[in-house]
Amino acid sequence: MDLLLQSGTGTPTGTANATANASAAGPVTTLPETISGALGLSGTLGDVVGGLIGAFLIANIMLGMTALAGPWAKRKITAAFTDRIAVNRIGPFGLLIIVADAVRLLSKELIVPDGVDRPAWDIAPIVLPFSALLGFAVIPLGSGLQLADPETGIVFAFAAASIASVGLVMAGYASNNKFSLLGALRAIAQNLAYEIPLVITAASVIIFAGTFRTSEIVAAQTETLVTVAGIAIPGWYAFVNPFAFVLFVLANIAEIGRNPFDIPEAPTEIVAGYQTEYSSVYFVLFYLGEFIHIFLGGALIAVLFLGGPAGPVLPGFVWMVIKMWAFFLFTQWARSAVPRVRIDQLIEIGWKGMLVLSFANLVLTAVLVGVIA
Amino acid sequence: MSLEESTPDTVDTEPTTAEEIDALLGDLVLDRDDHLNAPGFVVRPDEVQDTLFRLRDEAGYDHLSCVTAQEYEDRYESIYHLKKYDDPTDEVSVVVPTPTDEPVSESAEPVYRTADWHEREAYDLVGIQYDDHPDLRRILLPETWQGHPLGRDYDQDRPQIVPLREHANPLQEDHASDAGDTMFLNIGPHHPATHGVLHLKTVLDGEQVVDVESDIGYLHRCEEQICQQGTYRYQIMPYPDRWDYISAGLLNEWAYARVAEDLADIEVPEYAQVIRTMGAELCRIAAHMLAVGTFALDVYGDFTAIFMYAVRDREKVQSILEELTGQRLMFNYFRLGGVVWDLPEPREDFFEMIRDFLDDLPEALEEYHDMISANEILQVRTVDTGVLPPEVAKSYGATGPVARGSGIDYDLRRDDPYGYYDELDWNVSVEDGCDNYSRLLVRLREVEESAKIIEQCVDLLEDWPEDERTIQSNVPRTIRPDDDTEIYRAVEGAKGELGIYVRADGTEKPARFKIRSPCFSNLQTLPEMSNGEYIPDLIASLGSLDIVLGEVDR
Repeated sequence: MDLLLQSGTGTPTGTANATANASAAGPVTTLPETISGALGLSGTLGDVVGGLIGAFLIANIMLGMTALAGPWAKRKITAAFTDRIAVNRIGPFGLLIIVADAVRLLSKELIVPDGVDRPAWDIAPIVLPFSALLGFAVIPLGSGLQLADPETGIVFAFAAASIASVGLVMAGYASNNKFSLLGALRAIAQNLAYEIPLVITAASVIIFAGTFRTSEIVAAQTETLVTVAGIAIPGWYAFVNPFAFVLFVLANIAEIGRNPFDIPEAPTEIVAGYQTEYSSVYFVLFYLGEFIHIFLGGALIAVLFLGGPAGPVLPGFVWMVIKMWAFFLFTQWARSAVPRVRIDQLIEIGWKGMLVLSFANLVLTAVLVGVIA
Repeated sequence: MSLEESTPDTVDTEPTTAEEIDALLGDLVLDRDDHLNAPGFVVRPDEVQDTLFRLRDEAGYDHLSCVTAQEYEDRYESIYHLKKYDDPTDEVSVVVPTPTDEPVSESAEPVYRTADWHEREAYDLVGIQYDDHPDLRRILLPETWQGHPLGRDYDQDRPQIVPLREHANPLQEDHASDAGDTMFLNIGPHHPATHGVLHLKTVLDGEQVVDVESDIGYLHRCEEQICQQGTYRYQIMPYPDRWDYISAGLLNEWAYARVAEDLADIEVPEYAQVIRTMGAELCRIAAHMLAVGTFALDVYGDFTAIFMYAVRDREKVQSILEELTGQRLMFNYFRLGGVVWDLPEPREDFFEMIRDFLDDLPEALEEYHDMISANEILQVRTVDTGVLPPEVAKSYGATGPVARGSGIDYDLRRDDPYGYYDELDWNVSVEDGCDNYSRLLVRLREVEESAKIIEQCVDLLEDWPEDERTIQSNVPRTIRPDDDTEIYRAVEGAKGELGIYVRADGTEKPARFKIRSPCFSNLQTLPEMSNGEYIPDLIASLGSLDIVLGEVDR
């Protein structure tokens, strides 16, 4: 799996790097460049080796965070909300449950139901986590941890994240199960309804920053907005345009299918939606994919609205991780505290509410920026 | 079928006494076969509908509580136990004998929709055929079952081989037609939200439910037959705990206690009645807590806080019940003529425990209202979904919170008083929204009312003079009610009217023991509530019915 992962993220990294270099406007030194520089390699070999090692590093950081979030943090947080204790038997704070759960899940039988549409059925669980990992290629994680910084960075991130929908449809359609099919149909309907507001809202930020390049969007937010009592408040777009921030966070939760927008898997209604028939390794991959998507969503929010890795005292990477985990905590809080709406109500909120609001936001931002500039 | 639309007109002078009904039915009546609870009129098998239409439309008997079928040596018999929603003490039985060699009787389904399932059960277990029945199939047993287990000539030793191939292949092509664009979906028997093993055969148009049919019987445990093999005195009482096993045990035990005590003419000391009332209401709180918690789960999904809160409060009730009965679930605490033992010593501590719970309850209920009934998303999800109009509810024999959520002011604790209820000060909760939200509100309000009842019982018990604490009256060791006495009695269980029909044959065991399960009748309303709505609303409606499959399938 790791091999596939590297080549999956490695290739675009290489090309993206090349574009970045070609445009001769690369504002930051990317991780592959640092690595190839440290190894004393140059040219195509340096790009490939640096890209592979860099992608391997970033992917493993993300997978490590997911491992912590999925089997352990999620349980602990939900338990705290309902006055329970949750995992505390294995290891300090129950942390070794991660190992136990990994072994348990991977050693289960991989059940392949009758009549599934292979290979779509086998590819779907791979598409989901890798689409999310792909998105991390352009995210500036701070402390020099950025795989690529192409001119179209933020667009690439959205495009990569959207591939997940294909994975869900493949899973739902190929499973030969009606609950899966319903889940897949719901997933498409929901992604259509919420991806447009998501991108439109992001566009308003891009109007402010005047660039698609993620590193420049982050850099644009470092200027001081106001100084209150000697403390300089940076011009993060969450402070500049809080309305867009709220819209983006909501659309993002819907896009990654977390509560209260977890309709595609709604366990009490359609069992587990598109992942009903998946077990063992495939189930783990789905689960991984969902969590990486949460972190990618958090990373996008951080980059677009929270100044990316910027923050006082601590190194940039730590701040980035804190911001991503903050979003993860937010999704888990929503999971424990906000009920689910019905599918038709969800679609209605998307098309009639979010879409209109996000367009209004875009037009207003464009007008304001036009007037000021 | 045109008569079906005619609304029952409420004439001022409805016939109520046996003589008046006799006169109303006129020559439809072949004979009288009075039961202990009601006058019984024997009618011809091909005049069932005429009789029932007349009783419903001209005498106001709008509640078909139960249909009992049984086989005598020389004949089959179907008994229709009729009541009035306005006054459930006003009962009448319609007895329909059919010959053994040709057990065909007219169906009551055109008159009362609830007869659909009741007659299917009668056909399934006893073997009576019903003419004009829209869908006379087995209901509890598999379709391939051979013989009718409660019939006299049933061979219990005959092996029943029920191969899977006899059933529909779940993977076969199942388009309604080539042109149709509906989809058939099996919800259950293993589904997270069916509250047990219930199978819903659902036809979907997109996400909308076109038709839903409940397939029950997965949890059929021959409860009626078990009771027919036990002696009245001791051997039957443990089983009611297992019908509605969601901690409604004492309520169920009371159903049997009431019918057997009325049958054998046993007095219950007042002190025991107060203990029974208190215990039963504790059970009702426990049952409603779980109903509310699981309903919230069904609607809310991962929002598990309400479920945890509800289970937390239910746990307190169960601890109290454990102190009282020695058991947490299968209490077996009632005895004919009283209860098995007195309150636990020291009594002060026990009362303290109950009072602590009652003191905390208003705050807990406030939390529930904050989280559930005042929550806007829940209101969006539940208001005006799963609508059950009162007329439809009555036709299906819906009772309990389901009926009271449809604005039917019907509660046997008040309308057909037993125990100590009529001495106490409490109210019946009724909501006329007819939707999922109303049913939820009714349950939450009933918890408050139950708390009021318990509080008054504790006050009474605290001051009860020590030398008058009789927990059981003198009951003969062996009870042998007279031959051919029949009785049908119901109590207000957690889910509604839990009735039992018993026919005595002079021995110490009942000759026929028929359970009228409120869940069985309530579940029948599901298609009325769900057709045309979305799958999530179907799940929510099912949750709001609060069925327990153990009681549906018995």
